[in-house]
Amino acid sequence: MKNTIETTSDSYHIEYLRFCKYVLHTPTKAIQLSFPQMLELRRKINAKTTYKSLNAIVNNENFVLLFVADKQHLLFLEIPQLIKLKEEIAVFFETPDFILA
Amino acid sequence: MNTIVRKQMSIHPDVMDLLNNQIAMEMKASASYLAMASWCDQRELLNSKAFFYKQAEEEREHAMKIFEFINDNGGAAISPNVNGVNNDFESLLSIFELGLEQEISVTQSIYKIFKAARKNDDFITEVFLQWFINEQSEEEDAFRSIIDIFNLMEGMPLKMIDERIPTE
Repeated sequence: MKNTIETTSDSYHIEYLRFCKYVLHTPTKAIQLSFPQMLELRRKINAKTTYKSLNAIVNNENFVLLFVADKQHLLFLEIPQLIKLKEEIAVFFETPDFILA
Repeated sequence: MNTIVRKQMSIHPDVMDLLNNQIAMEMKASASYLAMASWCDQRELLNSKAFFYKQAEEEREHAMKIFEFINDNGGAAISPNVNGVNNDFESLLSIFELGLEQEISVTQSIYKIFKAARKNDDFITEVFLQWFINEQSEEEDAFRSIIDIFNLMEGMPLKMIDERIPTE
């Protein structure tokens, strides 16, 4: 069974492969993630998208670099991508499985 | 609600975030009690010092209990940053008053998580938190009783008041 949520064709989306196996599709690459790595990604994205953090990003470099999958990959995210990824992760964690099935 | 991550974790992700905040709060409380213990220790207030050292350990135990609970249920417990601990106090009474305020904040925070767990049908966390609610009731009572001692012994030497502080 493959459960996929797509926001836009060229944006970020997460695919459920099987137990503890996920794939984060980015415009440039597909990154395999275990569940602990997904949780860590969720934590980092949530921390970067608080009102205070977003303000700090906008007032400085206007982008963030994010290590994912135990520092095996580095993501370059601008604000719209950061917010899209946050929404994607939130949907993934909150949506009932019968919708994604 | 069965989500796609339900097989991986038994607790709700939003509740997990609140539990991680609670770990930070408990660890901050532990550090704060350590600062209070040090203040008492330097002034040879032996019973008060013993009380606060014990409180510091207890708060850390609470944090560890939550820490292990999160990981045991498939979540990710986060080791918190602890900073901004106050080491400067006016008096022994003010320390106990601060302690009570701190305990009340912790209780309110536990209630908040309890409500979130209930809202999200996270029964595992709800049951887990019941122990904390009882524990907080005891903690608040301990501080209130000590502040009562100060009121009853108003005007007495500080050392005599300290001797009345329970260490168990």
